Amino acid sequence: MSSLIIDYVERTSDVLPSFSVEIEKHTSTAIYSDVDIQISLMDFLSREKDIHVFDFEEALYERLTVQENIHFFRKWFQCSIPISELLVKFDLQQCAGMSVSKCSPSEMQRIYYAKYYMSNARWNVFYDPISSVNVQTMNVFIQLIERILEEKRSVLILVASAEHALLLTDIAYRLGTDGLHQLETESEEREAESATITSPVVEKLFKIPAKIDDKVILFDPTEIDYIESQSGKSYIYINKDAFALDLTLTEIEKKLELYGFYRCHRSYIVNLQKVREIITWSKNTYSLRINNKAQSTIPLSRTKLHVIQEIFKLK
Amino acid sequence: MNAARVMAIFEKDLKEFTKNTTILFTPFITIILAIIYSRMETGDGLPLIVVYAIVGITYASVTSGVMMILMAEENEKKTLRGLIMSPASYVEILLGKSLVTALMTFITLIISFIIMESTNMIDIQQIIGLLVLFFFFLFLGIAVGLFVKSVGMTTVYLMPIMFIFGFTSMIEFLGFSPDSIVIKITDYMPIPQLVAMGETESWSAIGIVLIWTIVAGLLAFVCFQKVKKDRA
Repeated sequence: MSSLIIDYVERTSDVLPSFSVEIEKHTSTAIYSDVDIQISLMDFLSREKDIHVFDFEEALYERLTVQENIHFFRKWFQCSIPISELLVKFDLQQCAGMSVSKCSPSEMQRIYYAKYYMSNARWNVFYDPISSVNVQTMNVFIQLIERILEEKRSVLILVASAEHALLLTDIAYRLGTDGLHQLETESEEREAESATITSPVVEKLFKIPAKIDDKVILFDPTEIDYIESQSGKSYIYINKDAFALDLTLTEIEKKLELYGFYRCHRSYIVNLQKVREIITWSKNTYSLRINNKAQSTIPLSRTKLHVIQEIFKLK
Repeated sequence: MNAARVMAIFEKDLKEFTKNTTILFTPFITIILAIIYSRMETGDGLPLIVVYAIVGITYASVTSGVMMILMAEENEKKTLRGLIMSPASYVEILLGKSLVTALMTFITLIISFIIMESTNMIDIQQIIGLLVLFFFFLFLGIAVGLFVKSVGMTTVYLMPIMFIFGFTSMIEFLGFSPDSIVIKITDYMPIPQLVAMGETESWSAIGIVLIWTIVAGLLAFVCFQKVKKDRA
């Protein structure tokens, strides 16, 4: 099995920009883009590459129980894993005897994961797999990706948010109208670049300026939930609303340190006052849950975990 | 083609059968009709034409109907998406569902015959005729089931099949003169042929029913090719 090369050079759609990416074997890759681009990308994949994309278009046998559904899919796809093991792996043992129509959306999502896993596809392409599920289900999904990688299969995940892209995979891209950009390397470049820029630092800065169209809005540092960098630009997040910032993350990091902000990831600065929960996913991946209306989760680098634990006196 | 997959579908649809009230009631309606007809019996057994009316209803509603509804459910809820990887999977699905349909049809038919006390009228020739007729209705069900998009739409197709092929022998009670064109056509339809065979014991009737079955089989094949092309 070779790597999957998505070579979209000759544009046939107005939405999808031309790009080319190689998804190496036994790796997981995420592409983060807006919905229009996602849909045309999915369309391209299923048409040109004959890949069955995991999405919400299919259905389960609602009259049958969860176990009966799994039993049928297992037989159909000729999966050799015992049914009891499958139920445990996808955390379905609690609802095994329930008919699917009575299951919660998260439980249904886990059955979909199981079905897709059993189909044993060569290329596992997921479309927005964890957009509206609970933490337990997200964990099941992360384990699922690991298992697929262990079985020497590859994973491509199309998501709508950068947080999810960074949480789920090692290699994350952003696909915009301007083309494809790798998420992490970009911030590295910018860090190097920002070192040479000497911006006049105002002493005792209390407000953070953000731009909306022509207006400049000044925010109190305590209002801010977190700051994210996306393709070279920084955005302030306040309850899921994003405001563009003129400064780079490295610049803003220094200024905000005093106000209890911390660079918890290459592309994120978090307001430590607003952290509600440190979520530990399996295999040493971590997220911070922010105490705002949207309950956003932002990624926490492995290397920064011990710093966070020290700050919160957890060790 | 894979026997394990056919059995997977068979098992799944058998379970679904017991939980889906629409499908579950179809055999009961036939059996209730069989009970009603058996009450009208005057002493020397039910006439063959009545027995075949029950056969027609069973085949139209249980064989064609259940097959259509089973396929329509999958099409409507898109449950087949992700399961079909090649045209062979389609054959496996159809075969699995045909087995469920066959099992239900023959159980219903045997119960109806016992109720009507007409088991003694059935000889080898009649059994062969009934088998060929079963495939005729099964192919009709598959043909419609392949392209029908929703369970609601199945009624539109099921009603003509029920009246034209299921109730054919009842058409002469509508008061057409024996020389009219309608009666001449209906005489060549599958069920009147089998009724006539009961009286004349001529094997040509089975030949005519076989031709009908082949035509229905071809229709199912054309529909299958079309669905295959649409998917590709």
